[in-house]
Amino acid sequence: MLKIENLKASIEGKSILNGINLDIKPGEVHAIMGPNGAGKSTLSAVLAGRNDYEVTEGVVDFLGKDLLDMSPEDRAREGLFLAFQYPIEIPGVSTTNFLKTAINEKRKYLGLEPMEATDFLKFMRSKMEEMEMDKSLTSRSLNEGFSGGEKKRNEVFQMAMLEPKLAILDETDSGLDIDALRLVSAGVNKLRNPDRSFLVITHYQRLLDYIVPDFVHVLYKGRIVKSGDASLAKELEVKGYDWIKQEVEAAV
Amino acid sequence: MNLVQQIESEFKLYEHQAQKDDFFEYRKKAFQTFQKNGIPTIKNEEWKYTNLSKISEIGFQTSCISNLDADALVKAGILNKIESNKIVFVNGCLFPELSVWLEDEPSIICTNLAKARKEHAAIFETHFGKYLPQEEGLNAMNSALMSDGAFIYVPAGKRMKYPLMLTNITDANESNILQQPRNLIVIEKSAAATVIENYIAVGDNSSFTNVVNEIFVDENASLEHYKVQRAKGDSYHNNYTQIVQNANTNINQVTLTLDGQWVRNNLHFNMNGENCNSLLYGLYIPDGQQFVDNHSRVDHAKPNCFSDEKYKGILKDKSVAVFNGKIMVHLDAQKTNAYQRNQNILLSNDATVNTKPQLEIFADDVKCTHGATIGQLDEEPMFYLRSRGISENEARKLLLNAFADDIAEKIKIPELVQILEEEIERKL
Repeated sequence: MLKIENLKASIEGKSILNGINLDIKPGEVHAIMGPNGAGKSTLSAVLAGRNDYEVTEGVVDFLGKDLLDMSPEDRAREGLFLAFQYPIEIPGVSTTNFLKTAINEKRKYLGLEPMEATDFLKFMRSKMEEMEMDKSLTSRSLNEGFSGGEKKRNEVFQMAMLEPKLAILDETDSGLDIDALRLVSAGVNKLRNPDRSFLVITHYQRLLDYIVPDFVHVLYKGRIVKSGDASLAKELEVKGYDWIKQEVEAAV
Repeated sequence: MNLVQQIESEFKLYEHQAQKDDFFEYRKKAFQTFQKNGIPTIKNEEWKYTNLSKISEIGFQTSCISNLDADALVKAGILNKIESNKIVFVNGCLFPELSVWLEDEPSIICTNLAKARKEHAAIFETHFGKYLPQEEGLNAMNSALMSDGAFIYVPAGKRMKYPLMLTNITDANESNILQQPRNLIVIEKSAAATVIENYIAVGDNSSFTNVVNEIFVDENASLEHYKVQRAKGDSYHNNYTQIVQNANTNINQVTLTLDGQWVRNNLHFNMNGENCNSLLYGLYIPDGQQFVDNHSRVDHAKPNCFSDEKYKGILKDKSVAVFNGKIMVHLDAQKTNAYQRNQNILLSNDATVNTKPQLEIFADDVKCTHGATIGQLDEEPMFYLRSRGISENEARKLLLNAFADDIAEKIKIPELVQILEEEIERKL
C-alpha cells in the first residue's frame, strides 16, 4: 500500500526527517509514536503534500505510484486521507457542498460521472447514520464554531464519505476528553477493513487503547528507532521516552 | 473642452433658453455653488485616492438621442429576470417603452421628475433638494444640470408588492455621454418598498454618469435598497445617495459593483430619530484596470440606533479599490450600536486597496467596532480543501464564493442573488 524509503525532509534548511523507512500493507494499522519534535507531524504533512517542507531524499510509493510527485488533491483522489490535528474552520462553505465537491472531483479524476444530487444526499445520510453524526452538520459551515471533539468527529466522518485506502490520523487524540476520544475511535474502528490501512500518529498511548495497532514505531530525531507490536506502546506509556532516547544516544 | 468648461457652457445655453423648466432657481443656485467649489481634486481628503482629472478631460455630450432597440434589451434578459415594477432611463431621459407597473394600489407613485414636479407638487416640494449636501462639487453639478430621474412615492401605511427596478442605461454608441440622473424616493410613515437601482451601459464610447439620490424614510417605514453596477466598457460613474431616516425605520442597503471602469459610490445615512436600523453592505469584484471607491458616512444623531456596515472586495489584475467609512456618533446618540468592517482579498500582486475605517464618537455610552483587512486567500483552508481531493481552482472558487456569500445573504430577492451568483462566476 505505502512504502517509504529513506525519506528525508527539511524546512527552511533545517532537516526534520532523516531517513524514514516504513512499509504498510493493506488492512494494517501502524502507529507512529514519539516525543515532541521527533518529526511526527512533519511526516504526515509530507505525505499529504504540504509544500512548506522540502523533500531532500527518498521515495514514497503509494499503490504503485510516486506519491511525492503528486499534488495534494491527486494524492487524495488516489485514496490518501489526512485527518488533521487542527481541522480548519471554513465559514460560508457548507459541509454538504464541500463533500459533494470533493467526491465529484475524485470521481472526475477516476473517469466517473458526477454523483446525482439525490444519490449523494442518500449516501451522505447513510454515512451520517453509520457514524452517528448530528443532523445539523449538513447545513453548518465546515467546522465553524465546532468544539474540538466535533471537529475530530467531522474528520472521521469525512473519511467515511471519501472512503480512502490509506488514512493518516495526525494526533487525532489531542484535545479530546475521554468521551470524545471513545466516539472518535469507535468511528475509526468502523472504517477498518482488510483493504484499508491506517497510519496513526500520536504522542500518547491512550488512543491506541481504542484503535489497537498491528505495529508501533517510535520516531525520534527524524528516524524510526524502534518498532514492535501494540505492547511497545504500553511499554512507552509506563517507561516514557527517555529510555529510547538513551538507547539511541548509546548506539551513537 | 474639459468638464468644468462644458458644464459652464451648457448652463449658459440653458440659462438663455426662452422656456426654462421649473427648476431654474434651484439649478442657478447649484450652478453658483459648482462654480465656487468645482470638481474635487486629490487635494481634498475625501478624494485623496480618487482622481477625476482624467475623466474631466475626456469630453462628453449630453444627449437623449438613442437608437436603442427596446425589444432587443428585453430579449437580452437584462431587465426581466426579476418580477418587478420597472422604470427605465436611457442617457438620463425617460424611456417609457420599457416601463412596467404591477401595483394595483393607486396611491403609490412612480414617475419621472419633470412630471412629479407638476402633478405631485406638494410632496415634491417638501422633499426635493432638502437633504443633499450641495457643497459637494459633483452634487452641485448634478443639481445644476440634472437630467431626468425617478420619483418614487409610497404613502403612509402602503407597501409596494413588487420591487421597483430603476434602470439606467448608458448608450454610448454614438458619442461620449454625460448624464446626470436625479432620483427622489419618499417612503412615508409605516410604508415599505424595495428599490433596485440597475446600471447598464452599451456602446464603445466613454460615458460619465453622475447620479444623485435623495431618499426620505419616515417613522416606522422600511426600505430595501439595492444598487447593481454592471455598466461595462469605458464607463465612469459617480453617485451620491443621501438617506434621511426618522424614528423606528429599517433600511437595508446593498451595493454590488461588478463592472464599470471607474466607480465612486457615496452613501450617506442620516439617522434622524431613535431606534433606527441601518444596514450597509457592499461587494465589489473589480478586475482589469477597474477602479472602485466606496465612501460611506453614517450619522448617528439620535439615541438607541443600530448600524451595521460590511463591505467586501475581491480584486483581480491591476484593479484598485478604495474604502472609506465614517461613523459619526453625535453627542446625543447614547446607546448607539455601530459596526463597520471592510475586508479585501487580493488575487493579484498588482491589485491595490486603500481602506480607511473611521469612527468618531462624541457620546459616552455606545458600542462601536470597526476594522479592515487586506490579504490573500489563506493557505490553510486552501490546503485543507485540496487535501480532500478538490483542485486548487475549485478550492479557490469555494472560498471566494463563501467570502462573497456573506454579502449575498443580505439580499432578500432570490432572483437578484442568482444574478449575483452568475456575475461572480463570470468575474472569477
